[in-house]
Amino acid sequence: MQKALRVIAPLAAIAAPLAFAASPATAATGTSYQATLNPLNHATGSGMATISLNGSSATITESWTGLAGSFSGAPYPHVQHIHIGAAGACPTTSADKNGDGVVSTTEGAAAYGGIGATLSTSGDTSPAAGTDIKIAPAGSSTDYSRTIQLDAKTLASLKSDTAVIVVHGLDPATLSKKAQGEKSDLVPSLPLAATSPALCGAVHAMPAGGVATGTGSTSGMEDSSLLGLAGGLFVAGAGMALYTVRRKTVKA
Amino acid sequence: MSSDHGWSPGRRGGLALAAVAVAAALVLLVVVLRAQVSAPEPQQAGRVDTPGDSSGGRHRTHGPTAQTAPPLGPSKPVHLSIPAIGVDTPVFPIGLASDGTLAVPQPGPRLDTAAWFENSPTPGQPGPSIIEGHVDSVDGPSVFLRLGAIKPGDRVVVDRADGRTLTFEVNAVRDFLKSEFPTQLVYGGDQLSEPTLRLITCSDFDASIQHHVGNEVVFAHLVHTSGPSGPASS
Repeated sequence: MQKALRVIAPLAAIAAPLAFAASPATAATGTSYQATLNPLNHATGSGMATISLNGSSATITESWTGLAGSFSGAPYPHVQHIHIGAAGACPTTSADKNGDGVVSTTEGAAAYGGIGATLSTSGDTSPAAGTDIKIAPAGSSTDYSRTIQLDAKTLASLKSDTAVIVVHGLDPATLSKKAQGEKSDLVPSLPLAATSPALCGAVHAMPAGGVATGTGSTSGMEDSSLLGLAGGLFVAGAGMALYTVRRKTVKA
Repeated sequence: MSSDHGWSPGRRGGLALAAVAVAAALVLLVVVLRAQVSAPEPQQAGRVDTPGDSSGGRHRTHGPTAQTAPPLGPSKPVHLSIPAIGVDTPVFPIGLASDGTLAVPQPGPRLDTAAWFENSPTPGQPGPSIIEGHVDSVDGPSVFLRLGAIKPGDRVVVDRADGRTLTFEVNAVRDFLKSEFPTQLVYGGDQLSEPTLRLITCSDFDASIQHHVGNEVVFAHLVHTSGPSGPASS
């Protein structure tokens, strides 16, 4: 009967409610952030960035590839920033107000805002370094890792889900004739292509804790109703047998 | 009741009925036990760093394919198959829940399909693309029931909306306690230039609290791309 007992035991377990959600993860606001960098303005290319926050110290790890590789025979500089204080989104083509086929940095600002920090390769990381092409990553791809200090406004934007990473610098050949002739809206000595956004990614907190992808239904019994029926029949049968035998014993 | 030792028809009938009931109960039990399925426990295996990692020059020690394919532009995943464990499922985007955790497929037509985390790269873009699925649901076994049986070297095939078919190769399988979930390693990591894939499901059911206390994470990297939008790149 030992075996039967073992088999009956799960009957009790059925009664226990099958909890649906897993333990709620500690709702700590994550200190790790991620951004997928997608192309804008006919750019090809793609990338990803993560930000690990420790107080106001932010370790930025970023990799992108597929951008314009050279400019006048030199590696193409791609200035890049954490933009803050707007919708926390990347612009769509509808942001192209002057109809030249390019969403300029200024036209995109309604979506991603102004510069909060410059992701330069060395030296100044403030908004003041925003268009300094000498300390911008250069070439068609970059693996970037740097720990920088963020100011209060940039930190607040990160935490309120409104920070956006933007990498600038388009291949002029991919632009319309009109756009090819235009000057940069930021640095008039440069062509429009040089400062216009090429990759853009809204920064979001990484998911907190683990993932609730199970209920445990396959860790107990699947066919609990059938099992219940079996249990019921077993109890009824045993009861009937006992009753019959007892009646016989009493009579005897 | 005429005989002390004989069985009256009534008693005999009662016992027979009881026997039938018990026999039926046993048959049902056998049926239930035979229908019982359980998720295989993941076996920790492989290296989390992808073969394309040039640091350390150890990339020849990995699985059968010591190479990675170059990254692609964005396009959402629409279908996932893992022939080695019989997975074949549509894929839908999913976001964060209000408590900041990764949302999971809810009861309804998508409960037992895989879900791509929409804040992660699409498969083929640089960095880890996240696809999750339930190991089981209130309905019983779910799409990633057998994810624990996956092994390094197994292939994971993702179809994207742009018509490309991407083949990933598993390089590692890991089991983490949810309480110690390595967020940065799973959603980021230090190989953001590599197009990689993470498959996530639940593991380590704790009967005492009726919860899975662990997450299984499968680490895979892109080895081949085919489809209409460009030449094969592997």
